[in-house]
Amino acid sequence: MPYPALAEVHRLEHHLGDPSDPQTVFSYRRCLALDDDEQFPAEICRQLEDFGLQHYYVPARHGGRLADYDTSIQLVRALARRDLTVAIGHSASYLGAVCVWVAGNAAQGLRLASIIGAGEPVAWALTEREHGSDLLAGEVRAIRTGIGYRLTGEKWLINNAIRSSTLCVLARTRDEGGPRGFSLFLVEKARVPAGGVRWLPKVPTHGIRGVDVSGFRLERVKVTSANMIGPEGSGLETVLKALQLTRTLCAALSVGGTDHALRLAMRVADRREVSGCCLLEAPWMATTLAECYADHLLAEAFCVVAGRAIQTLTPELSVIAAAIKYVLPVRAEAMIARLRRLLGPRVLLAGGPEGGMFGKVERDHRIVSLFDGNTLVNLTTLIGQFPLLVRAREAGRPPAAGLRTCCELSQNLPDGDLGRLSLVATRGCSLLLALPAAVEELTALRRSEPELDSVADAARRLDAAVGTLHRLMDQLPPARLDMPPVAFDLAGRLATAMAGAAALLLWLRNRDAAARRGSVTAALWCHGGWLHACLSRVLVALGDSSHIQRVPHDVLLHVLGRQVASGVAPSLFSSPQPDGELR
Amino acid sequence: MAVQSSPCLETLFGDPYQPDNPVGHAAIMADDERRQLFAAGERLLDGWNANAEFVPRELGGRLESTDALVRRLRPVFRRDAALGVGYGVDSFMAASAVWLSDSEVARKRLAELLLAGGPGGGKVSGAHHELTIGPDLRQPALRAARHGPQIRLTGRQEVINNAGRAQAAVVVAGIGDSRSGGSHSLLLVQLAELPAGCLSRLPRWRTDGIRGCQIGGLSFDSCPVPEQAMIGMVGEGMPVARPSLPVSRCVAAGIGLGMVDGALFTVLRFAVARRLYGRCVGDFSHARAVLASAFTDLLIADCLVTAAARAVHLLPVNADVYSAATKYLVPLMLEEAVNNLAVVLGARCYLREGEHAVFGKHMRDLPALGIVLGGGLPSQLTVLRQLPGLMRALPESAEAPPELFDPSGPVPPWEPDQLGPTSPMGNPQPDPLLAALPAAVDTMRSEHGGEAGLGALAAELVVAMRELSRDAAGIPPGERGVLAGPASLALTDRYATLLAAAACIGVWTHHPGQLGPAGTAWLQAALSRLLHRIGRHPAPVPTELDDALYAELLRRAGERRGFGLSDELVSRTLPGAA
Amino acid sequence: MTAVPSPTSVGRWLTGKVASYLKVDPAEIDPSRPLAEYGLDSVYALTLCAEIEDDLGLVVEPTLAWDYPTVTALAGHLHGKLSDDEQAAS
Repeated sequence: MPYPALAEVHRLEHHLGDPSDPQTVFSYRRCLALDDDEQFPAEICRQLEDFGLQHYYVPARHGGRLADYDTSIQLVRALARRDLTVAIGHSASYLGAVCVWVAGNAAQGLRLASIIGAGEPVAWALTEREHGSDLLAGEVRAIRTGIGYRLTGEKWLINNAIRSSTLCVLARTRDEGGPRGFSLFLVEKARVPAGGVRWLPKVPTHGIRGVDVSGFRLERVKVTSANMIGPEGSGLETVLKALQLTRTLCAALSVGGTDHALRLAMRVADRREVSGCCLLEAPWMATTLAECYADHLLAEAFCVVAGRAIQTLTPELSVIAAAIKYVLPVRAEAMIARLRRLLGPRVLLAGGPEGGMFGKVERDHRIVSLFDGNTLVNLTTLIGQFPLLVRAREAGRPPAAGLRTCCELSQNLPDGDLGRLSLVATRGCSLLLALPAAVEELTALRRSEPELDSVADAARRLDAAVGTLHRLMDQLPPARLDMPPVAFDLAGRLATAMAGAAALLLWLRNRDAAARRGSVTAALWCHGGWLHACLSRVLVALGDSSHIQRVPHDVLLHVLGRQVASGVAPSLFSSPQPDGELR
Repeated sequence: MAVQSSPCLETLFGDPYQPDNPVGHAAIMADDERRQLFAAGERLLDGWNANAEFVPRELGGRLESTDALVRRLRPVFRRDAALGVGYGVDSFMAASAVWLSDSEVARKRLAELLLAGGPGGGKVSGAHHELTIGPDLRQPALRAARHGPQIRLTGRQEVINNAGRAQAAVVVAGIGDSRSGGSHSLLLVQLAELPAGCLSRLPRWRTDGIRGCQIGGLSFDSCPVPEQAMIGMVGEGMPVARPSLPVSRCVAAGIGLGMVDGALFTVLRFAVARRLYGRCVGDFSHARAVLASAFTDLLIADCLVTAAARAVHLLPVNADVYSAATKYLVPLMLEEAVNNLAVVLGARCYLREGEHAVFGKHMRDLPALGIVLGGGLPSQLTVLRQLPGLMRALPESAEAPPELFDPSGPVPPWEPDQLGPTSPMGNPQPDPLLAALPAAVDTMRSEHGGEAGLGALAAELVVAMRELSRDAAGIPPGERGVLAGPASLALTDRYATLLAAAACIGVWTHHPGQLGPAGTAWLQAALSRLLHRIGRHPAPVPTELDDALYAELLRRAGERRGFGLSDELVSRTLPGAA
Repeated sequence: MTAVPSPTSVGRWLTGKVASYLKVDPAEIDPSRPLAEYGLDSVYALTLCAEIEDDLGLVVEPTLAWDYPTVTALAGHLHGKLSDDEQAAS
């Protein structure tokens, strides 16, 4: 199955060279050494800039190469596959700029495009030491002066705080705060007089040790009104919309992380022997690896669909982004831990199997569920929209027209219109609304293809589970600030079910194209093999283990083995050609 | 009583949150950063003559029982797992096979070496025996050959703790024909007495987690060792070392209890002090539920470790399976509990600085303990091999003795002859812990049927047990080892989970005082969570239970008590408390 | 075309919605008190826009509840919009 967004990935891989060759700039060995020394991967980032990766953070209307978000997402995934530290350190500039893309004017867009185009890092400064995710408690003040504002206060745990040339700062513009009490400002460090910005020391972290996570204190820093993004009081709204984009982008970090973990696991498993037989021949081992691969493919499917939803289901992104930002990192964490236990604790030895890289992937990846809206924030965002989702389902609303293009990969994406982002999905979520019809479609296909029997049953069970979830969501007490634990549980299940729905739709809309080609991945698509494996994993998470033993694990394991052996990413999609890692 | 002296170690360490405490968190984190075993902590333990904890009483030490050892070392693991393992628990693990052998010479020599201790001294290295003789059977890394009255030892033993400084090592070596597995022999090698040049201490491994531990290797090049170094006879390595497995497994599983106790307190501290969205984190039901669940899991794990560790003394024939189930399940449950707690702590769990940094350290160290202690898989395979026989024998079994559940009660000394696995071909041993479940459940239903839904949960357990019994009978003979199918291997998780439930009910029934005033609320939460774990879906734990357990956490923290069984005094205070 | 509802009846409708969200009696809702003070989650308050769209036929930004934080303010604004639509239609 080809996926056009991967063409640029191939070009990037070619530019970067073989990561297992220590002579390569962006090599595994160098990443491990930098991590050990807590050094920012500056030289690697320069190589990314030679390639022009930063242009993929700038929308085409501002002169950049960000036309289709799914391409940028796959590029970040390719970085994450080599090293999460590099991916997080470099793509932070997109986070720094995104508020301008959402709400800035043309002049701000032009200015930022030139800053990013020149390879200068930009930082997004939202959080403060005492308030974490509670943005409305922010204490950094912007006090109005004659021609602009004066900013004072401290931001902390900011990615790229020290390295960046430009800051995007959320500051309080009304004493009493509130949702209209905050505004966003661009601060170019070079224009701040000496003493205006004081840098806080780098914060030592367990993973992504090389990333510049730090903070700063502003002391009466003057900015003109031209540096305010959007009207005064629009800061929180812009941030919440921008977070929908960045949270969707974070999916790439998790998928890249599990790309890497699976690759390492297959290599270790392939070599390990127990009682004289290769570990891979042990059925429990093979099944566990196949299930982890299924988890990975589920994540990949949701990542692709959500990435394309940015341009096709824009007003629904508040639901999709929260769901994917919750479910992918948390499931990836569990999967990496499962692989670690499978391979045995010695994968945590630096210099042990694969040079300690497995341990690094695990600790680097842990940041993904913590930043840019942590697990609780995302679940809360979903819970807040339960009434809309229940309403849309009860009204039998049809899915939005954009759903087909969203899921059918041969269709060109329409230009993105970030003006259509909305804080809540007023009309529900098409991925969920499309589920009953998708199940019917699959059931109809089964008539001419009896091999689809099992997967159709799994899909029916998913649909039934989603119906039950909506009933339970409807019975919840109103969402006050303090929500009951059961609401979080439902939101988590709903997000998992959405991943399943995305997988089902992706398979339905692309199965013809996928089955026609004689590539390695064709076997995955044939008779809904990968879909069945993914739906079984979703059902297990929803408390239904009826499909565990019916999944074609051998097919999955075979494809995974071939992908790892030929050096391509574990994926639903065939790479244009091997990515240069193993020539 | 011996248990009483563990608060003493707590007192010596003092409040770890005090920034100027030389043996507090700040100092621990600083040494961790340097990849150095916590030096001030080692001095403190030297002063306490901690090595005596690892030496049996009859040989001059303070070691009385497996259970007491686990409990007495908890103050160390609350603070720094690397210190606990690197200072001495790994010495104990290596020595345990010698203690359980009948080689009096070796027992005495080893006791002398450990008790002599001294700064940085008294360390014994050894690969964890589970890794050398466990079901994941490999050829021994070392070979031994006879040269007249001497044995010459050759080979590399990798990934062992304190290899760079140990005075002795307990190793398994193959003697004779390298192809027959029966030639495993156990040797106590006095490293300091080896002639110059034949022993190399290999470079230290760096690890993700327990960074202070000096994990290295020993390379022997035709090292002459005297005949007396052999523990037992040639080829008897496995039968000699086997009785130590239940002991070392329980100790390994018990390590995590202190770590999670420490991690839970850190998050409770955060919940009480941190304000988000205009209120304390602890004012949110979700945060309270997460803390209550972690507390529940910690107590479940403590019940299981207690029962398994005491079974080493009270039910030695069952100790192999109980300890293996414990070594598999407890680290897994505790890792999950810490992961859930991390959600409440948010980004603070990722930082290596600040007052919550110790949480991230525990979270990182917990999985890494397996590097020296072994992972859960060998234990799972141990259970799997015996599961069909165990379940077949279930109906005939006797009741578990109440002393099994009393962490403050005495136990008889261990009986090496009875420890160790029964042959899969031999008569299956009755399983008193699990067999007691139906009767205990009947009592619960008649006495507490209406109480907080306990009766229904208990009845569900019995159903789960019958199903396990049925499914275990269907395990094909070829699936009882490393070639097991996933469904067969999953049965070991169900067994371990039911065993944990039985241990919880045992403690609650016979020694409810160990659980504190919220004991019944805890049992209901515990059984719910355990049933959930094995794919049954009881009604969600009601919010009132979470609140009751959260209140119990606050009570214990306020009274400076630990969160495990026998809520001993600990040196730590919540912010705002005097 | 039906007549534009009066500000009072829009207010009554809105009070009823807020009360049903909070599962309280409509009489307990003070129309001059900011909705946030009732402890409604901030995202949840934004979902009012769907009710407004379904019941009043007005497509509004979810952030309306931020810009008009009380029942009185919101009802006044909605009434104004309904009147504008009415004029535009006639």
